[in-house]
Amino acid sequence: MGIVVEGKGLTKHFGEGDARVVAVDQVDIAIEESELVMFMGDSGCGKTTLISLLGCILTPSEGDVWIGGEQIDYENHDLSQLRSEKIGFVFQLFNLIPYLTAVENVTVAMDIAGIKGDEAEKRAAELLTQVGLNQRLHHRPAQLSGGEKQRVSFARALANNPQIIFADEPTANLDSRQSANLMNLVRELRQEHQTTIAIVTHHEGLKKDADRVIQMKDGQIVSV
Amino acid sequence: MNNVFLKDMAYRKARVILTTIGITVLIALILMLGGIMNGMRIQAQQYPTFTGANIWISAEGSGSAFIGFSLLVPEHLAYLDGAQPLKPNSVSPLVFAHARPVIRGKLGKAVVVGYKADKLGGPTQFELTEGRLVTASQYEGWAEADIPPREVVVDEKMNLEIGERILIGNKELKVVGKAKSLMFVLDTPLLFMDLRTAQEVLLKNSLHVNMMIAQAAEGYTPEKAAKELENFDEQLKTIDVRTLKQTLRDIIATYVDEPMKAVQFLRVMLWIAAGLIVGMITYVTTLEKTQEIGVLKAIGASNFYISSLIIKQVVLMSVVGVICGLILSYIFAVAAPIFVSIHPVESGIVALISFVVCCAGGYLAARKAIAVDPMVAFRGEV
Repeated sequence: MGIVVEGKGLTKHFGEGDARVVAVDQVDIAIEESELVMFMGDSGCGKTTLISLLGCILTPSEGDVWIGGEQIDYENHDLSQLRSEKIGFVFQLFNLIPYLTAVENVTVAMDIAGIKGDEAEKRAAELLTQVGLNQRLHHRPAQLSGGEKQRVSFARALANNPQIIFADEPTANLDSRQSANLMNLVRELRQEHQTTIAIVTHHEGLKKDADRVIQMKDGQIVSV
Repeated sequence: MNNVFLKDMAYRKARVILTTIGITVLIALILMLGGIMNGMRIQAQQYPTFTGANIWISAEGSGSAFIGFSLLVPEHLAYLDGAQPLKPNSVSPLVFAHARPVIRGKLGKAVVVGYKADKLGGPTQFELTEGRLVTASQYEGWAEADIPPREVVVDEKMNLEIGERILIGNKELKVVGKAKSLMFVLDTPLLFMDLRTAQEVLLKNSLHVNMMIAQAAEGYTPEKAAKELENFDEQLKTIDVRTLKQTLRDIIATYVDEPMKAVQFLRVMLWIAAGLIVGMITYVTTLEKTQEIGVLKAIGASNFYISSLIIKQVVLMSVVGVICGLILSYIFAVAAPIFVSIHPVESGIVALISFVVCCAGGYLAARKAIAVDPMVAFRGEV
């Protein structure tokens, strides 16, 4: 199995002088293909910042990131294109576009990547069917439950066949039943798509599903 | 999915409609103000052009006919009648003065035109829609005790009937004819009467006039004729001579351009307001959409994709607003109580400038949008 995402010497600090905060401190990490990794730790320990660095949303203060074996050149790489084609995101608060239906929320990700028309709509419908929302294709986020919204989020993250999906607290806003259902879905999607998934979570109960649990504290990895 | 921006607009339709209405009203106002100025320009030129005269003579220092205080005496007429640069027998003494006639018991506004029969400056039977011309007085053999003909030809838009009477300077004048629409600035109707009648009602029966008009003699351009008359009068310095072109320029400068400077300023302000309305509303909407924009950026939307969403919305609102504004301005022009002339070319220019100003406002909002940090996707809720 190859390495999908790798970070070496990753450091991210915010602010300067007395206000300087080191969110991620000299982290080395590699995530392998088809792996389900979970990042755990207290609030503010740097989990979300680390996946933002690995997902090329943030630029590291120090260190380097490789996606699919290619080192990211922050000066010359089109990071938005990279995110669109190689990385999927699932957010704690779903972050669906309120004026788009479920199917449109998935197609918009493909639209951004340049996939348009019937092809995009067909794929979006297939993905939503896979996540169990074939009866909710044309519902807007306001008409969906929390669990359903998060399923749409996963479908959107999968839209462009990413090499890895980063999910930030995907179960935090779901009740225990919805959380269990979502994790079942994650397992099914992994089997179906062989997608690498990195999840940031506080839920100790989710550990059992992980191939690897990375414990973080004060911006550093303390155990793997 | 090319219609994301349309779906966003539909979702925020109240704001979109209000913005578009704002643009519409502002464009209509800008065009209306321009149309009022155009109307004033057209009306300011209407009567001088109608007379057929190309030489306009006023008293020295008056600044031009129609402009300052000017009194010419009968001796001027005798002197100008024999002047070589002028067409023989073409010089016409004229009283042209604003007056407040009492019409059906109400004080109105009008311009009194006192002209000499068969000379330049008065209407001919051809220009009448109803009735007849005023009776001519015996101007040359006039005695002070003689009573001038108390008759007037009114503008058809004054809605007076033949035989009705109006009061000017406590003198009662009988309406004997109606002229085709000939107005001075701001829809001020012209009242044509015999020169002696005008002198009686406005100048206490003195034989003064405030301008004389004429045509340049054959072989003279109006410019050459005016120059020679001025040179001839250099010693006496009693008259100002101007061509029709100069006179029109003076009238427009005095009656339209000078008083309308504030209106021009207002038009520019309205343009700025249109840009600000679009800019501010789009900017505030963009701030509200920070989370959505952040999410789109996080999932890979480029700066071009984000800014094009906003620019497309602004362009659509501006196009609809400008088109509706154009239509509304033409409706306003028809319904306006004064003469408004909206020129199609000017409409096009106003539409183009307004469109550019609105888009500039949208561009600032787009700049704000592309500066959104995609990390906001991890922080709040859409």
